Amino acid sequence: MSIMEYCGAAIVAMVGKDCVAIASDKRLGQQQLTVDMEFQKVFPITERTYIGLSGLATDVKTLHDRLRMRVNLYKHREERVIEPKTFTHLLSHMLYERRFGSYFISPVVAGLDKNNRPYICALDTIGCIDSSSDFVVCGTAATNLYGACESLWEPDLGPEELFETISQTLLSSIDRDAMSGWGAVVHIITPSGVITRDLKSRMD
Amino acid sequence: MDAQFAIVGRDFAISVTDTGVSRSIVKMKHNQDKSWQLTPYTIMTVTGEPGDIEMFSEYIQSNIKLYSVRNAQDLTPKEIANFIRGELAEALRSRNAFSVNLLVTGFDKVTGEASLYRIDYLASMAKVPFGSHATPSFILYSVLDREYTPDITLEQGLEIVKKCIAALKTRFVVDMPEFTVKVVDAQGTRSIDIVQV
Amino acid sequence: MSPILESAAGFKFDNVKRNQLLSEKGNAAPRATKTGTTIVGLIFKDGIILGADTRATSGPIVADKNCEKIHYLAPNMYCCGAGTAADTEFTTSMASSQLALHSLNTGREARVATAMTMLKQYLFRYQGHIGAYLVLGGYDVTGPHLYTIHAHGSTDKLPFVTMGSGSLAAMSVFESRWRAGLSREEGIELVKDAIEAGIFNDLGSGSNVDVCVITRNNVEYLRNYVMPNERVEKEQSYKFAPGTTEFIVPKPPATLSGEEEGTAMDVSA
Repeated sequence: MSIMEYCGAAIVAMVGKDCVAIASDKRLGQQQLTVDMEFQKVFPITERTYIGLSGLATDVKTLHDRLRMRVNLYKHREERVIEPKTFTHLLSHMLYERRFGSYFISPVVAGLDKNNRPYICALDTIGCIDSSSDFVVCGTAATNLYGACESLWEPDLGPEELFETISQTLLSSIDRDAMSGWGAVVHIITPSGVITRDLKSRMD
Repeated sequence: MDAQFAIVGRDFAISVTDTGVSRSIVKMKHNQDKSWQLTPYTIMTVTGEPGDIEMFSEYIQSNIKLYSVRNAQDLTPKEIANFIRGELAEALRSRNAFSVNLLVTGFDKVTGEASLYRIDYLASMAKVPFGSHATPSFILYSVLDREYTPDITLEQGLEIVKKCIAALKTRFVVDMPEFTVKVVDAQGTRSIDIVQV
Repeated sequence: MSPILESAAGFKFDNVKRNQLLSEKGNAAPRATKTGTTIVGLIFKDGIILGADTRATSGPIVADKNCEKIHYLAPNMYCCGAGTAADTEFTTSMASSQLALHSLNTGREARVATAMTMLKQYLFRYQGHIGAYLVLGGYDVTGPHLYTIHAHGSTDKLPFVTMGSGSLAAMSVFESRWRAGLSREEGIELVKDAIEAGIFNDLGSGSNVDVCVITRNNVEYLRNYVMPNERVEKEQSYKFAPGTTEFIVPKPPATLSGEEEGTAMDVSA
């Protein structure tokens, strides 16, 4: 079993019309054993940039802690809030710095930039940025999510439409992934604020 | 093979460990307290590699004590859990990793809430309503999943503990005759003789 | 000045011990994104033409359908990358900043041979562990130059080159049709056909064709020059009716990373 499949995760981000959405499951596992059903995998970085961390749980915490420090330092030095794209490059360099002893994390970033333009991207464990104009996925359910996203995503979805699309995409993907599920959370980032919702999902 | 588990109610937490110590096929001891008092309101139970347990737990215990002495204030359970995780994560990246699984149970005097942090040897940390580690957890989680609700009273909590112990005694191959049961709440920490409950 | 391409920080190895420990326990290491890739370059009458497909893969999965594999190095130089995607990305961007500093220090436009030497020395130092396979093309005071650089540090200087998993398909096109003194149009057409050979015959390559034409004092970056694999529009919409998903609004809003709630001070005696 790959170390990336040890804990289980399903994270997806989608672009809508003047909004982005990021959603994740909530399971923390140790292989087949479910340890927690309220495990946070998506974290706010700024008021309108969110990051989803899939992979080994210990690194989810370590990386999030270090990112918090770096983003706070940026805020102090620059006296401005970090943009999603800038943040992605900060993260990318942090990951590539450990090219030969990586964090077991593949992150997803979603946010709105200062002009309210949606930005999403996924990174691999060593910091290669895969930016996209439609959707990005990661975690043990990544293959499932790719399939569902390819069928269900369409351009210019409004916040509520995007919520339904990303929720149904996530829910159908985790139904066919044994390692992820047990609750899900969706964040819709809009220019006027973030809508956070917990989904009702299967618990098996 | 050690068993440890813990449960959290609204304003109390119960921490349980077996008391057996064995090397290979031989029982060395049957009355070992596997919990470590960190502050008057926080305890941690530790299982894993025998040598590592001692080294790591004493290090943590001493440092948290040092903090309390220096600052005339105790760390909260949340702060303690994050400190332990940090130390474990750092040790994991060094030449001597500690093979220890921990449950940190505590009561926060300021918020009036009890909490449980489950930390494994990889330094994965989760704040959970109930938790367990290693092989006995496969048996214990099924009991805990069935019996637990967030609004249990201490008496109901101790009933669940009894059921967990009963499940271990009837279904687990390793014999565990005795257990340490500790309760943390607003009054501090106290041991409970489970037979008398 | 610091040694060429060496950042002040360099690589960190703090996770290595732990990762070794985990792999000894039988956990397989994760898969990095690869470019799979068909990348090519040729010399034509007035300069260099570079070409690349736009597929990035992670094992059997297409990770990115339209990535950029022709990287900027200097105003007169571009570089196609194949192999481990992060390595090509970071190696070329580090080379690019070193070349910019080099130009500022010397007051001249950097030469292609300089870039080639920087890259090969850097890659050789890492003994192939940095998996960047590059096609470097540019036009400097000495004319047009085209190189391939392998991850172990070997280089070739040739009039037409291909690299990546689709290199065989692309080379078959070059071998049959390349000649000295191609015109700009002929050159672009040949590069396009070579990349398409990779796109259609190599599973690691796909999607679109990027082309970059470098001539004396001019660069034309033709991003998505042809898009032979555009997805047909869906005949129907798969929007869900509002209210399809059952949800609750969680009570405590997620705390902002910068403003995690602190512990209230204990003021009791």
